[in-house]
Amino acid sequence: MKKIVTNLFTRDSRISMNKLVLSLAFLIISCDSFLDIDLPENQLTKESVFEDNQTADAALTSIYSKMRDTGILTGSGVGISFQLGCYGDELTWFGNPLSTTENFYTNNLLPSTSSVNDYWKAAYSNIYAANAVLEGSRSSVSLSTANKQKLEGEALFIRALLHFYLVNLYGDIPYVTTTEYKINTVVSKLPVKEIYQLIQTDLQLAAVNLNTAELSSTRVRPSKFTVRALLSRVYLYSGLWAEAADSASAVLNESGTFSLENIDSAFLKESKETIWQLQPSASGKNTDEAVAFIFASGPPRTVCLNNILVNSFSSDDLRKKHWMGSVSSGASKWYFAYKYKKNSTTASSVEYSIVMRLAEQYLIRAEARAKQGDIIGAREDLNKIRNRAGLTSTDISTKEELLQAVAEERRHELFTEYAHRFFDLKRSGDINTILSAQKPGWNTTDILFPLPQTELELNPNLLPQNEGY
Amino acid sequence: MNYFSFYKDGKALYCLFFAGILLSFSSSMAGNSKRHFTFSYQQHQVQGTVSDGTAPLPGVTIAVKGRGNNAVITDYNGQYSINVSPNDTLLVSFLGFKTKLVPVKGNTKVDIKLEYDTTTLQEVRVNAGYYSVKESERTGSISRITSKDIETQPVTNVLAAMQGRMAGVSIIQTTGVPGGGFDIKIRGQNSLRAEGNAPLYVIDGVPYSSDTVGHGQTATLFPTLTSPLNGINPDQVESIEVLKDADATSIYGSRGANGVVLITTKKGKSGKTTFTVNATTGAGSVTKFIKLMDTSQYLAMRRQAYANDGVTTYPASAYDVNGKWDQNRYTDWQKELLGGTSVFTDLQGTVSGGSQNTNFLLSGNYHTETTVYPGDFLYKKGGSQFSLNHRSENQKFKIQFSTGYTIQDNDQPSSDLTIIAQTLAPNAPALYKSDESLNWEGSTWQNPLANLPAKFESKSYDFLANTVLTYEITEKLLIKSSFGYSDLRHTETRISPSTIYDPKLNYNSSYSTLFLNNTSRNSWIVEPQLAWNSNLSAGKLELLLGATFQNQLTDQLVQSGTGFPSNSLIYNLSSSTTVRAVADTETLYKYQAFFGRANYNYKERYILNLTARRDGSSRFGPGNQFAFFGAAGAAWLFSKENFAKGLHWLSFGKLRASYGTTGSDQIGDYKFLDTYSVSGVLYNGNVGLQPTSLYNPNFAWETNRKLEAAIETGFLQDKLFLTAAWYRNRSSNQLVGIPMASTTGFQSLQSNLDAEVENSGLEFTLRTVNLNKGAFQWISNLNISFSKNKLLSFPGLQGSTYSQRYRINKPLNIVLLYDYKGIDPLTGIYQFNDLNNDGKITAAGDKQIICDLNPEYFGGLQNQLSYKGVKLDFLFQFASQKNYNYPVGPAGQMYNQPEKLNDSWQNTGDTASYQIFTAGYNAAAVTAGSRFSESTASVSDASFIRLKNISLSYDLPLTGFKTQCRLFAQGQNLLTFTKYKDGDPEFISTGFLPPLKIMTFGIQLTF
Repeated sequence: MKKIVTNLFTRDSRISMNKLVLSLAFLIISCDSFLDIDLPENQLTKESVFEDNQTADAALTSIYSKMRDTGILTGSGVGISFQLGCYGDELTWFGNPLSTTENFYTNNLLPSTSSVNDYWKAAYSNIYAANAVLEGSRSSVSLSTANKQKLEGEALFIRALLHFYLVNLYGDIPYVTTTEYKINTVVSKLPVKEIYQLIQTDLQLAAVNLNTAELSSTRVRPSKFTVRALLSRVYLYSGLWAEAADSASAVLNESGTFSLENIDSAFLKESKETIWQLQPSASGKNTDEAVAFIFASGPPRTVCLNNILVNSFSSDDLRKKHWMGSVSSGASKWYFAYKYKKNSTTASSVEYSIVMRLAEQYLIRAEARAKQGDIIGAREDLNKIRNRAGLTSTDISTKEELLQAVAEERRHELFTEYAHRFFDLKRSGDINTILSAQKPGWNTTDILFPLPQTELELNPNLLPQNEGY
Repeated sequence: MNYFSFYKDGKALYCLFFAGILLSFSSSMAGNSKRHFTFSYQQHQVQGTVSDGTAPLPGVTIAVKGRGNNAVITDYNGQYSINVSPNDTLLVSFLGFKTKLVPVKGNTKVDIKLEYDTTTLQEVRVNAGYYSVKESERTGSISRITSKDIETQPVTNVLAAMQGRMAGVSIIQTTGVPGGGFDIKIRGQNSLRAEGNAPLYVIDGVPYSSDTVGHGQTATLFPTLTSPLNGINPDQVESIEVLKDADATSIYGSRGANGVVLITTKKGKSGKTTFTVNATTGAGSVTKFIKLMDTSQYLAMRRQAYANDGVTTYPASAYDVNGKWDQNRYTDWQKELLGGTSVFTDLQGTVSGGSQNTNFLLSGNYHTETTVYPGDFLYKKGGSQFSLNHRSENQKFKIQFSTGYTIQDNDQPSSDLTIIAQTLAPNAPALYKSDESLNWEGSTWQNPLANLPAKFESKSYDFLANTVLTYEITEKLLIKSSFGYSDLRHTETRISPSTIYDPKLNYNSSYSTLFLNNTSRNSWIVEPQLAWNSNLSAGKLELLLGATFQNQLTDQLVQSGTGFPSNSLIYNLSSSTTVRAVADTETLYKYQAFFGRANYNYKERYILNLTARRDGSSRFGPGNQFAFFGAAGAAWLFSKENFAKGLHWLSFGKLRASYGTTGSDQIGDYKFLDTYSVSGVLYNGNVGLQPTSLYNPNFAWETNRKLEAAIETGFLQDKLFLTAAWYRNRSSNQLVGIPMASTTGFQSLQSNLDAEVENSGLEFTLRTVNLNKGAFQWISNLNISFSKNKLLSFPGLQGSTYSQRYRINKPLNIVLLYDYKGIDPLTGIYQFNDLNNDGKITAAGDKQIICDLNPEYFGGLQNQLSYKGVKLDFLFQFASQKNYNYPVGPAGQMYNQPEKLNDSWQNTGDTASYQIFTAGYNAAAVTAGSRFSESTASVSDASFIRLKNISLSYDLPLTGFKTQCRLFAQGQNLLTFTKYKDGDPEFISTGFLPPLKIMTFGIQLTF
């Protein structure tokens, strides 16, 4: 370089062209390292993420915050608690006619409806992230075995949970277990039955991995009990009554850890009824559900509780009094879901979004026991829930009546929680009778969502489209 | 490489900087050659006036032949004075006029009359970036507009100023909101990636990144994220050159594939110091609204819809028909919400002048623009520019310095009101109550005005500076280096105060939110160059060697705050209860290149131009960072051949052709790394890490091969000048984000695609001097471009994720549509042809009709008429194209529809244009309605002819005054002729404010 400088500044103006050309050529070869750049400060290489427990954990917990904020499980107006409440018979829609919820409310989903696409996309994006955690953890040489087990257990749980919702919404779907895009972009659908088997396999492995892990005090991370609780639901949906009852018992028996709270404490963040909850994004924030459902004056801007649902509660049901709110204007009165009560920020958070809670386990076991003919056991479980709601114990004694009573109890206990009602109607087979009586847009093929149009175009292996679309 | 460790970490670069600085201050350099002294006896002063026969001509250069350093320029009254010897000859030259030699012959007063010369347009030197070339001798394809074309237009964006004026350059305005963007395509779409088609912008030699600076959370008003190009002030632009073919763009290598836009700012002129002041004011309004239903038509539709669906009791939420809202009220919401007048004011001032060796220009401007929305929204833009040129006494050393600073301050609503104005029920309630407070009509609607306090505000500070140092080492050898620096700071905020909600909701300021985006981008560039020229046999050889080092750092911090103690603190992030960093990114882009040019001009008849560039970019992974690009261009000026000498009608004739390669590295940064990035979202006290993208380390440069042949001919002293160009660009190994099924976890994969895309076309420009008699002059310029885009090959298209998007031998910009066949007279529902005869209508099988949305041809016709001090200039822009209709969807739901929907099916046997109304419950109608908007019926002819620009100016005949005064009126988009029925035909996506028609008046004073 010095030579060039001296060359350039020589007083002799007759610089030889050769020298300059040579110097330039010299520069050409030597300046390649100019292009070296460091890793951007907001990114880490994949390997380094899984060298450290803290960062590996961040890769996993990021999935929970995504589930909380977007896609199927979000408590906001675009999650299934809200949208499927409108799609089924829990909510009445008053909102913007250009909104995608209008399509849900009129039961006219299209393959191009944005939420149909968003649920699919968000779920598979989180499944990818879970698979990346699994692969990253398995190939890591630095993480401890205990940490690896916890990471892998939770990742398997996430994978199973999301496929569970997908299969219930869309029917036959692909089950994705790798991050390899060459496989995933041409992946084919599997029948519902096989999906359920894969879910079970993942959950059983998750239970093994999480066996020694401790339940966190805030219950914001899935534990072995969460896995058991989901397994019991999965068995119930598959008609495996004994397994469903056993899995529910595995949770219910932990009476030191889990117990039914009184009606006003059930949805607080410290509730001992909670099996797994999603923590809000910041201290002082409360649930998206409260923001989406509660309104202070009528008529409602978005949704209110369906009158038929409200009227189906008996007047002494504490849940009607404590888990529903209402506003009146003139002769009109509107109800809203009031399980979560804090729709604005508080000094410190009071409520988290509870994804799985103990009451469901009682009702699962009640149903599974009834199916197996254990009338006494079923009644006992059912009455636990009835009594907590201030209702008298039931003494019905036939299997059919009991199943009917459990279904009604599920409707009242689990309303506006993650589309339990809609999925229960699907399981019972009564869905067409019940919904077509109330909803002028209902068609029998509406029990499944359409597959997203763009996905069918990108991956023809997903064809055919679901019936009716 | 270790041998050269000295050059690591950019040390080589510092040396270059150092070299440049030394060079510029080295007195030894300035003094190392002999000074010229000219002795002349009996010097005397000669004075006079230069005119065109009718009016004096300011700015004319008068030199003494044989004495290059003795020159003066006429003042604004066309007067000059110069020291000469009695036997000297004056050399009088002025652009657009024939150069004249006038012997002094001992006179002390010499008046000179210049004659117009149209042929001198061929003498203009055209900026080709690293070099300039005489118009007649250029081998490449370059379009050009100058400040004369820009000054006639009341526009704030340079791209707007180019619309309709350049062959092969298609520019579409995406929104009529001030501060919005434009879509530009030079010779069609090269890349499959929609965002990979931006040209390279270079301002006075400094590349100006057009990468967006906005963020989706803040810039919710615009169809695309905020473009920095609004920071370029059209008033300060002297000329814009668009480089199109390989010969012109290959020297820009990897950044030239989509063309290069060279912007040259105004420079000072030697002579008397002049002041120019410009003041303009005007008004704008929406060009065209859609004809929508009135209340009675709308309510009839709604009632029919419920009747059709068998719903007898209207739902509680159907306020429009269930009696909650007045059934007779009518509001034209488009007029109410978009029908305002946007007021323009513009002030400009310029001082320029200089001595023989030094000149300067200083200008400042201030512009404000309100919106057509109700409420006080304002776009402000102010800036200043300074340019200084200096040459040493011996003319060997030159320094050119230019700098500009622009501030933009935009205050707008956070969402475009267009969609709500088009869809709101015409009997929706009044906006205000009688006490002038907002009317919420018993909480039955979201008052559209309530959203106005949800504001989008942006501020941009844009600084650009460039220095070029040139030293003539010998007569043949020139060393030169440019040093450029740009610094852009952009802040955007969007607020959502609790006051936008119905007061009945009792929302307080704890519901208020603030989104804040701070983006800063700075870059420096150093381009040392060496130019050599020599006469070689009967020709002239020019060589150029150069290098580029560029470093660009972009920082973006996006934050949100929720919950404020009071709404008056909403802009104070620190007072919010929840602060979140949404994104915090730092992007470093480094770029390095070596380039060269060799040009041989034999007898000014045969010209060969070779250019090459070796590029390196940090956007590629190790091993893929470098690529080589090159081009050859040739021109033959056949009008200089002997055989043409006899053809008196032929004044100019040139054939030129070029072939070469360019590339594109517009792929975003760091894409070759397999990383996790910070999500910015907390969970359980831990900030999340998320996978950044699918990993593919192996992507590399794409190449674009450009071929062009053109003929340029001038007839009758160039009174008729025709250029016809044919081009064919083929790009392959395209760098694309290949769409991925969502089951991969992502929507795309960065990769090279083994597909080949061809853009070919014909471009014609015709310039005619229709009349040039005495003081009257009429010139026309026509440009028209026919372009074709074609996917040549795509191995494995069928099995790929593109299988439902592209077709071999068809353009990229196609859409696949259902084949609409009419309405079933029995059910009243849209019917589509079952193309694959499987008994069902499916997208995969039946949405297969190909429709090309590329314009068939487009162009502009410009006319310039002048008579003495009066000038009329108008431009018609035209395009033959198809575009989407306004989406009607399944009509009958609670939103308004175009009036044409009155022709909808009602009873069995009806023949109608639109299907049965449904309130949303008729599944078959909803599905068919959705397919209708993706069918052959959803696209129609959106061709248009538009009076894009008209300008009338009058120079007041202030003879004897030192002041010149010009009055002018200008109009933009005043008239549009189109068959398109759904509003304005110029748009990229529906639902945004169309371009405005603007009328302004102004005055210009020069003294």
